[in-house]
Amino acid sequence: MSPKLRLKLTRFAVRRLVAAFCVLTAPLAEIPVEPAKNPFAGDAWKLPEGQPAFRAAPGADLVTNNCLLCHSADYVATQPPLTRAQWQAGVEKMRGKFGAPIKTNDVPALVDYLTTNYGKN
Amino acid sequence: MTAALGAAALSRGLAADFLTLPFANGERPLVKYPQKRPLIRLTTRPPQLETPFSVFNESLLTPNDAFYVRYHLTNSPPKPETLQPDQFRLTVKGKVATPLTLPVEELKTRFENTEVVAVNQCSGNSRGFFTPRVQGGQLGHGAMGCARWRGVRLADVLKAAGLDASAKQVVFNGLDTPFLPATPDFLKAIDVDQALDPELLLAFEQNGEPLPWLNGFPLRLVVPGHYGTYWIKHLHEITVTEAEFKGFFMNPGYRIPDDPCAAIEPGTTPKRTVPISRFNVRSFITSVEAGATLKAGVQTLVRGIAFDDGHGIREVVFSADGGRSWRAAELGKAVDKYAFREWTVAFTPERAGPLTLMAKATNRLGQSQPFEPLWNPSGYMRNCVEPVSVHVA
Repeated sequence: MSPKLRLKLTRFAVRRLVAAFCVLTAPLAEIPVEPAKNPFAGDAWKLPEGQPAFRAAPGADLVTNNCLLCHSADYVATQPPLTRAQWQAGVEKMRGKFGAPIKTNDVPALVDYLTTNYGKN
Repeated sequence: MTAALGAAALSRGLAADFLTLPFANGERPLVKYPQKRPLIRLTTRPPQLETPFSVFNESLLTPNDAFYVRYHLTNSPPKPETLQPDQFRLTVKGKVATPLTLPVEELKTRFENTEVVAVNQCSGNSRGFFTPRVQGGQLGHGAMGCARWRGVRLADVLKAAGLDASAKQVVFNGLDTPFLPATPDFLKAIDVDQALDPELLLAFEQNGEPLPWLNGFPLRLVVPGHYGTYWIKHLHEITVTEAEFKGFFMNPGYRIPDDPCAAIEPGTTPKRTVPISRFNVRSFITSVEAGATLKAGVQTLVRGIAFDDGHGIREVVFSADGGRSWRAAELGKAVDKYAFREWTVAFTPERAGPLTLMAKATNRLGQSQPFEPLWNPSGYMRNCVEPVSVHVA
């Protein structure tokens, strides 16, 4: 099992436990909060689970490990087909302006993957 | 916009429906989020959701469950427990005589409550239509909405804190945070003079309900007539500074060419930039979608919306022949100078064939909309006339 999957499963189990605990400990006698006035009533605060994956191709592990730390793959997938220079600038922006811990050695492979799978040459 | 149903589902069957925005790579899932109807999802983490355009023909106030969502930072929206009354506090600090720490309930009771009906529009609304295309959130026209915002005046709260004579800017921070400490937080600054404008609100209600979680619960800044980037959500920190604030999202983020049209030659780089600020004039046809079929000889009431930065819409003109001839549309009641203004025009297509419908608004300053789209490298402030091609049968 990959560490990522293990982390996901742990998170899922914890969420389930917390949910069960909340149900068990909910005071019965309390006057219910008017649903329309409480934005967090019921399961209203549960965001949809899951997120899209990068296209399976050589280099996908690298983008998954670097880019998904901070944002989902659709940040990449919804861009118009970008040139190599534009993807290069994008990766540099993530490193320089947003502090992404991308190793210098990994930059060419990242740019290759993005240009091949989400770009135009 | 044509909604193309797709059978493919995301990893856990979240989204069965897809819609294709009318530009390259425009396929988007329609996904249901808390307190929202299924909306056009641009991104998942953090969530960015666009309003399906048909919503703008339903009502002049955009329903809360259809209102668009834009976040920048990974940890968005903030965890619900941090937003609950027992935890959430607004602090006012920096160059003030009396720093404040206020629960929302105290804001509501201590300061006069007031309302504005105002459009909130993302700086990058319609970015997907830029030619040449630019990087950034590839949005259709649905990153905008008009709502009735209720809250207290920012000016009243700042006066209660007492601004120092040295105060120059006011910086706003929400509870959303980046994943990495090295990533800049999403902070926005405005000059003190503007912050004291009684039209700026700290809003706790949207269309008569508490703000939706994804639209800033329990408190957001409302800056009528200004792009959504300033409307900080989950607002919990107001800092008065004596120096100009220089965070990433003020510079180099959210800047436009220093030019009256905020535009430069496509594909070039601006020489000087300034922070984005006020809306330009826009109008849309909402009752007829591109690709629709109208019947020859049958009158149809074409309807749409127009808005600007609060000077007020003076006129909307309509063309059914691709801009060769124009006539005035009838303007609906001005609900608020910052609100969507409805317009209507009765139109009878004479003969079968293709037609191009257009609307063009002008405000009370005489500012209007260009026919050719203006371009800037960030894809901000699109406001050209948007032609709608239809077929008459």
